[in-house]
Amino acid sequence: MTGAGLGISAPRVGGSDRVTGAQRFAADIVIEDALHVALVHLDCGHAAIEKIDTSVAAGIEGVVRVFTAEDFPHPVPRFGPRFADRPVIATGETKYHGEPLAAVVAVSKEAAAEGVAAVRVEYEELPGVYSIDDALDPESPLVVDPELRSSDDALADSNVRQRWDWGWGDVDSTEADLVVEETYTFPMVTHFSIEPHVFAAAPEGGGVTIWSSIQHPYFLQGTLASLLDLPISKVRVHAPDPGGGFGGKGFPKYEPLVAMIALELGRPVRLVLTLEETFQAVRRTNARLQLRTGFASHGRLVFIDAIEDFMMGAYADIAPRVISKSSYFAAGPYKVGAVRAVVRGLMSHTTPSTAFRGFGAPQMTWAIESQMDAAARALKIDAVDIRLMNLARPGEEIVPGDRAADGDWRQALNIAAEKVGWGEPLSPGHGRGISVGLKASATAGASYCILRILHDGSVSLIAGTSDMGQGARTILTQLVSENLGVPMERVSLVMGDTAVVPFDYSTSASRSTVFMGSAVVDACEKAIADLKGKTADHHHVSVDDVVFTPGQVSVDGAVYTLPEALNDVFGAVPGEIIVTGSQRGEGDADHPLGGPASFYEVSCTASEVSVDLETGDFELVKHITVADVGKAINPQHVEMQDEGAAVMGLGHTLMEHLILDEHGRIVNLGALDYRIPTFKDMPSTMESVLVENGDGPGPGGAKGSGEGGLLATSPAIAAALTQATGVVIKDLPLTPERVWQAMHGGDEGREQ
Amino acid sequence: MSPIESAVTLTVNGSRRTARVSPSTTLLEMVRARLELTGAKECCAEGECGACTMILDGEPVNSCLVLAVETEGSEVTTIEGIGAAGMTWLQESFLATGAIQCGFCIPGMVVAATALLERVPRPTESEVREGLSGNLCRCGGYSRICAAVMVAAGGDGAT
Amino acid sequence: MTFQYHRPQSLGEATDLLGKDDAVALAGGTDLLVALRHRVVRPALVVDLKSVADIANGIEVEGGRLRIGGGVVMNRLTRNEEVNRHFPALAQAAAVVGSVQIRNRATLAGNLCNASPAADTAPALLAYGATVIASGTDITRSIPVEEFFTGPGTTVLERGEIVTAVELPIPLKALGSAFARVTRRRGVDLASVSLVCTLDSSGLARFGFGAVGPTPLLAESTFDELATDDGWSRLLSVTSPITDVRAGAEYRRAMLHVHSKRAFQAASDELRAAT
Repeated sequence: MTGAGLGISAPRVGGSDRVTGAQRFAADIVIEDALHVALVHLDCGHAAIEKIDTSVAAGIEGVVRVFTAEDFPHPVPRFGPRFADRPVIATGETKYHGEPLAAVVAVSKEAAAEGVAAVRVEYEELPGVYSIDDALDPESPLVVDPELRSSDDALADSNVRQRWDWGWGDVDSTEADLVVEETYTFPMVTHFSIEPHVFAAAPEGGGVTIWSSIQHPYFLQGTLASLLDLPISKVRVHAPDPGGGFGGKGFPKYEPLVAMIALELGRPVRLVLTLEETFQAVRRTNARLQLRTGFASHGRLVFIDAIEDFMMGAYADIAPRVISKSSYFAAGPYKVGAVRAVVRGLMSHTTPSTAFRGFGAPQMTWAIESQMDAAARALKIDAVDIRLMNLARPGEEIVPGDRAADGDWRQALNIAAEKVGWGEPLSPGHGRGISVGLKASATAGASYCILRILHDGSVSLIAGTSDMGQGARTILTQLVSENLGVPMERVSLVMGDTAVVPFDYSTSASRSTVFMGSAVVDACEKAIADLKGKTADHHHVSVDDVVFTPGQVSVDGAVYTLPEALNDVFGAVPGEIIVTGSQRGEGDADHPLGGPASFYEVSCTASEVSVDLETGDFELVKHITVADVGKAINPQHVEMQDEGAAVMGLGHTLMEHLILDEHGRIVNLGALDYRIPTFKDMPSTMESVLVENGDGPGPGGAKGSGEGGLLATSPAIAAALTQATGVVIKDLPLTPERVWQAMHGGDEGREQ
Repeated sequence: MSPIESAVTLTVNGSRRTARVSPSTTLLEMVRARLELTGAKECCAEGECGACTMILDGEPVNSCLVLAVETEGSEVTTIEGIGAAGMTWLQESFLATGAIQCGFCIPGMVVAATALLERVPRPTESEVREGLSGNLCRCGGYSRICAAVMVAAGGDGAT
Repeated sequence: MTFQYHRPQSLGEATDLLGKDDAVALAGGTDLLVALRHRVVRPALVVDLKSVADIANGIEVEGGRLRIGGGVVMNRLTRNEEVNRHFPALAQAAAVVGSVQIRNRATLAGNLCNASPAADTAPALLAYGATVIASGTDITRSIPVEEFFTGPGTTVLERGEIVTAVELPIPLKALGSAFARVTRRRGVDLASVSLVCTLDSSGLARFGFGAVGPTPLLAESTFDELATDDGWSRLLSVTSPITDVRAGAEYRRAMLHVHSKRAFQAASDELRAAT
């Protein structure tokens, strides 16, 4: 295999290890003498902890120690990406179903479980905030301890943790021929990576070494350094490729707890969450979106007036960013003259929500697009036409003063419409829907890499992107191969160890192809320059007389392969070309989001359903996703990610929701009753199409991708159902029961 | 009372292996922790996700639902045993089709698909979906995994 | 989870062991191991029945009856020619119990003994008039399956009694049958409603219902009665669907109606085609 160019579907680097079972995930790594940690939590939501009796547990054979808040510093250390609100361990009260209040450390998994069962907790269940209405109710208890809110926080006496007011133009003086006013809800769903989270720690060299299934090792490293009062250079994070992340493994969760335990015991320890514990640990921010959308009679969008409530959970985690970044784009991909959005981030006694693929955009798209369909029906305008009319054209602003539309979004819409057979006659009980979703990519960040051309011409690339399924290793290898002319199999990638690999801001926001990709290209260019310089010196010619083409150096009338060129330059004493590459986005401190998005990820979904009108059950006959990706460096990788995103979108659209009871307990806790799509839930026909116009900021004109396919799933399928049944549904998921209830006029109650 | 450990002897991937286990140790736990074969994964631990799939006495099972002590004298094949002598056509097919994303579900998928193809050498697409319906993939790779199995079976891989 | 494990070779030894307090039977393990993990049961002794010779693994025709051994797993049922010929709804029900991995371990007897109101195979066994053969220390008895369940998770079995077989009378007359199941997704799922309808040439209709009462339920009617709304009301009056995490009561009631009628129609069509 020679140098793989851009746009080639090179086989997945790391694929062989995965298909043979050799790939070591965080739970597979051998950590000598590691003790097992298991968590103690209560079977209710908000509760006051009165007493924790660990005496029986501590006496169980194999149990080394049982930790509670008493074993940690007072006041309990807190951390979090936005607010330092999350305690290392529950102290005095539990604020969500599953919050750990004790940790049992034992020599075996079985002993740890026995220990957990033997811990006796006396507690009193307290009234809890379990819904959006609860959170907005002034009579509800406060979720956040008042002393944790800043003294100038006008909202401190409420469960509104943060409020945003977005807008432009003047909504109140904008005339509209049609005003559609509706309320939409998006449920609590959980990531359900097939790999449950793993957290391990060991004291090492005056500091600590961590193993975690973490997506952002450097952020974790910084958090731990700060919490443990260590220099960053003494905190080492091993980040094996995660078995699925989707945002749920982005930010620190129980690493601080495990690190402190390891340091206290002077021994390595490992905590592997059960699947149920992962449901309790991470979820998507649920929302209630009240939209008033004004249209002119021919279909032009004239204003959007919104009140959007997002329920963040017991600790803010990165949810404020999820909310601000998505709600800021209050009109999605459309050009609208007047917008007003009042947005609230609410605290609740529930699992803290965190980043989740789409980052607030699926919730926003559900509301914005459902409104478009409502208007189309009321004005008797075709759903494709109303969107063509309002989508921003390339170069047109969607938020005044901010980055303009950077893609031909109409093209994606038209392709989706054509593929789904829009306009063709429909069989009875069938319906079609089409939707467009927009998500902004990273606004700031930095990626660094080190590139070494070794003395035989092979290459070692050291880059901190996390490969959790999207094929980062392959993409980065392809870039090196393309730029240097080195065959892919002669490129090695070093990832996942902060002691060795330089800083990368995160693997999120579909940023890695653009940011790390650009850093890698930067490194390649510097390596080439360095090699040319050394070659020129060696041959006593000007550097302009040295020509590099991928895989070859020409000088003095001779042509050298890369290995020959290195040998030529270094001679008897071997050497390397070592360079760093970087890509920084400084952002803009004056911008509400810290900077304009580096690109927009836009995707169109079109769907056809066939409904059994007597039961509400329906089949997905056709499901099309079209992603505007700029350039697909590895088309197969991009397609597989887009298909995967589409399937994930089917999850929250058709079947996923965490159900809470009146005690704040997750009732469907576990794989038995929390349903995600399986082989048999796939649409009869599913197709993923990539639009490549080379209009992105990354290598070859690439944008990022990987989130688009789930942005617009819900409104497309809901619109298809409406066409088939005549009913409009504003809450998710669209289960057969919900569809049936809507058709038969039943009142199922609104979910929060 | 502490659990009573006993020795279990069984054949794993063609080799005779013995492990000390307690009565409550599952086959999955024994294979991963005592036999140090970490290919099979633990996810739901209750037979809903298929990540732990192994072939036990010729049939694919969820190894998290089998006690180690039940497997005395049995034959077990894990992912490590498949393609031990070089990748199988099925494994190559997974690679070529882009069926692998994060990879965590893949050992279970490959074992379940291997068992399926042994029973039904030329399955229809519907039979593939049915045969693998006990294996979850959160990355959503179902189309390509199905295509990979069809290609390996000699079908046309069309989805 | 600290228990002892025994694997008796004889039925007598098995019933003796299971006669003790805190002993549970292990067949396929697909229910028991989940219960152990959640600490719903904490036995002192787990008795593995898989080596007991008298709990057969076979499916045999004997004297006008099909005898399914207590050790028979679901996949064996679905692939058996006799089951498919005479009791197709049972084969269909067994085919939706979990996944192929589950079906390679889960036994028919175990599904009955676990006695979930939603037990997938129960509606078929009820409609087909099955009998449960149970052996205790001294006696063996035959229990009509409609008398077997006493409540959610409970049966008439005494401590120490083991189901050694399930028998079904091979229909003498032509029989139409249909199976229906409502789930939350097309993939592997528990049933919110499940039912089997059989209809014979004398016009007798038998319905087995699952997940719509504290136990699986049997109701009978006739072809003529089911031509009337009252007939359907009377038939479905045995059921008492509840709201739970899987479905609401109102929806279950509605789906019972819709699917019972469809199953009855399908069974009628099949009967007509056979005669």
